[in-house]
Amino acid sequence: MKKRIVITGMGTLNAIAGNADDFARALQEGRCGIEVIDLFDTGGFRSQTGGQIKRFVPRDHIPPEFSIKRTSRADQMALAATIEALRDAGLYPLPEALKEKTGIALGGGAGGLLEGEEFYKDYLSHPGQNAKFSALASLFCASSTDCIASVLGLTGPKSTFMTACSAGATAIGCARDFIADGHASVMITGGVEPMSRLTFAAFNALKSVDPETCRPFDQDRAGLSLGEAAAIMILEPLESALQRGAKIYGEMLGYGITCDAYHMTAPDEQASGAVRAMRTALQDSGLTADDIDYINAHGTATPVNDVTETRAIKEVFGKRAYEIPVSSTKSMHAHTLGASGALEAIVSVLAIRQGFIPPTVNHRQSDPQCDLDYVTSGSRKADLRAVLSNSFAFGGNNTTLIFGKYSEKGAAHD
Amino acid sequence: MTNGRQIDKAQRVVVTGIGMVTPLGIGREEFGGRLFAGETGIAEIASFNTNAFSSHLGAEVRNFNPRDFISVKNIRRMDKISLMTAAAARLALNDAGMQITAENRDRVGIVLGTAFGATDITAQFLQTLFKDGPASVNPILVPNTVMNAAAGHTSIELGFRGVNTTVTHFAVSAENAIAYAAAEIRRGTADFIFAGGADILSEFYFQALTKFHALSPQNGKEESCRPFDRDRNGTVAGEGCGIICLESLRSAEARGRHPYCEIKGVGMGSSPIRPNVWPRNPDGIQQTLHRALKNAGIAVHDLQAIFAAANGDTHLDAAESEAYSQIGGSPDEQPSIMAMKGVLGESFSGGGIRACAMALAIEKKSLPPTAGLEHPLESLAFVKDEKKGLEIDNAALAGISFGGTYCYLILGR
Repeated sequence: MKKRIVITGMGTLNAIAGNADDFARALQEGRCGIEVIDLFDTGGFRSQTGGQIKRFVPRDHIPPEFSIKRTSRADQMALAATIEALRDAGLYPLPEALKEKTGIALGGGAGGLLEGEEFYKDYLSHPGQNAKFSALASLFCASSTDCIASVLGLTGPKSTFMTACSAGATAIGCARDFIADGHASVMITGGVEPMSRLTFAAFNALKSVDPETCRPFDQDRAGLSLGEAAAIMILEPLESALQRGAKIYGEMLGYGITCDAYHMTAPDEQASGAVRAMRTALQDSGLTADDIDYINAHGTATPVNDVTETRAIKEVFGKRAYEIPVSSTKSMHAHTLGASGALEAIVSVLAIRQGFIPPTVNHRQSDPQCDLDYVTSGSRKADLRAVLSNSFAFGGNNTTLIFGKYSEKGAAHD
Repeated sequence: MTNGRQIDKAQRVVVTGIGMVTPLGIGREEFGGRLFAGETGIAEIASFNTNAFSSHLGAEVRNFNPRDFISVKNIRRMDKISLMTAAAARLALNDAGMQITAENRDRVGIVLGTAFGATDITAQFLQTLFKDGPASVNPILVPNTVMNAAAGHTSIELGFRGVNTTVTHFAVSAENAIAYAAAEIRRGTADFIFAGGADILSEFYFQALTKFHALSPQNGKEESCRPFDRDRNGTVAGEGCGIICLESLRSAEARGRHPYCEIKGVGMGSSPIRPNVWPRNPDGIQQTLHRALKNAGIAVHDLQAIFAAANGDTHLDAAESEAYSQIGGSPDEQPSIMAMKGVLGESFSGGGIRACAMALAIEKKSLPPTAGLEHPLESLAFVKDEKKGLEIDNAALAGISFGGTYCYLILGR
């Protein structure tokens, strides 16, 4: 029989909340964090807005005994969310005996690019001068994984995934497997994505950003809003969670990964990759379409994504597609790219645990091609048995995660 | 995977194809021929000017013509790392005797490891952004700044629609990718996964490596890559891509393919050292190797060979060689140890190329020679000249990264 794996702790920093409890409140209130960015100069770009983490003071989250010298904003965000998640799970400080059985799998994005860009700007403007290459010490996203493992003293497995906008979801899937395959007993998993000029310039150059605020599934949607976040969850086998009397948020039931093999930046309009990702995840979870009570959509608010995703949901769920609430919480916390799959995994698990369906905010005008229930007039109370969360990415990468309400008998057997 | 013999064939993962674009050659014939002949892929760097640096050597891929492997319509959208990856994957596909069809494409995937991705494109993109401003940024470059671009382009070129993931964890990127791919085959989420690693040598990246004092020459000694040698003085930058085709033993038998080898075990671990530094002691390395052996259900004396991670770095090579010297077992039972980076340089995701070399070694019953090793650090069973007539039941692929991350794979016939 398949090993049951549960979520026992969560931590996050994002544009609408500084921790997981606050995040649950923000989601229920429909708080929108998409505002003018002041992290760097946005002059000359199509958009000046995004879901930036405002007033981030690393030392408010990270104890003084942990050195954060030469770490990037991304490292610090990830570390802060990890400490929160471990504390939430009752595993902080991490017991000595657990250190060799605790692993970490993160989805990354721009990593230390924000700091790297400062360096590169300097390097270009003073050619031949001795630029401080040490500014690149934490450039790549695997640095955040190494930083956390080093600070916590872990000796378990480490891995970092970079599949653009599905990285955080992919990492959680892999973390589940690390436990299922016996490589680790506790996994710290999730994703981190800091804002950077390169990312901002890239999405602006592609004209895939909304100059104002993203409006998922709206007729007038004009693109996504970029954001940043750290989102970490703690996974462990059900047995050990029960044994130590841990709070059980929910169960990680399954995942599916597929590829469009169609176009680098545009989704396949037939939505084959998205359909197969959802079906694979259902199969892996041992569930059917009837068991899903809420879909946390990828819902970027680009004209093509929202239509394609809607089509894919209809293909997988048939008539039931019209009965399942579907929302894009990116309308509140923005699109956090490498972290988004993990951030929305936290949304899904909070929704299950606290019994609500988060809304799609900023919605004004219905699009005839997007005709599902997008929860556009505020959050709802609901008892959710299982939640499906989609993440689709550049490169044609699709990852779908499924989480379930914890019950002794197993998901969807209440 | 605890006991290979007793597990049903759907659970046993085998390697049935290999493909590589490397400084030693492209494709198994050229690569294998030159590797076992003891030739080197290291030479003066030709793709950019190194006058401003103290290092001038590199292991560059030469004479690579993407048109030999990739359709013209896709080539123009692809960058260097994507071209090398797609070419290596096509070679592995052909070597495995596979064809992608509408029937099988949804169950064929790719899991690629890359330590640094397209450092050439990222530098180019930032240069335009900072010199000429946001309006001048070229949207065509955008998709290639993302690390999963190479796997994405390869999937488009070859039609892989199943599992698709990019792992980026510095010098264990390829080993972690292969470990993940093997797990997916066992879980049955794909029938075939092409797994390995790719990284490129770009000017900006080379410059960063020199500034981080990673490269030979150091200590005023001659520039060269000498793994495990007492006179080593840094590594030599390399590039390349190595991809293996994984499937279940049941699938290989059903297709009538004789596998090169089986992936028998995986061990992963880490040591809590500072990011960016190589391990200073053998603890994490030993612990991870033992995890892999346990996972494969074998003991140290069952291991005939280790394809080492050593790259000529002062600390890495000392820690790795110390780990093997304390591995246990009597001296005549100790595994043969060979290091390939003396001819391939350090490309960080070179575990993909080493996995291809291991597949060839197991098939050929022969271990390729280790170049650049004159005065070994420890008296281990180093393979100085080609070692022939060796039945390789089990060999370890060592993945060791700066930042203290380890992944060992046990491969065997």
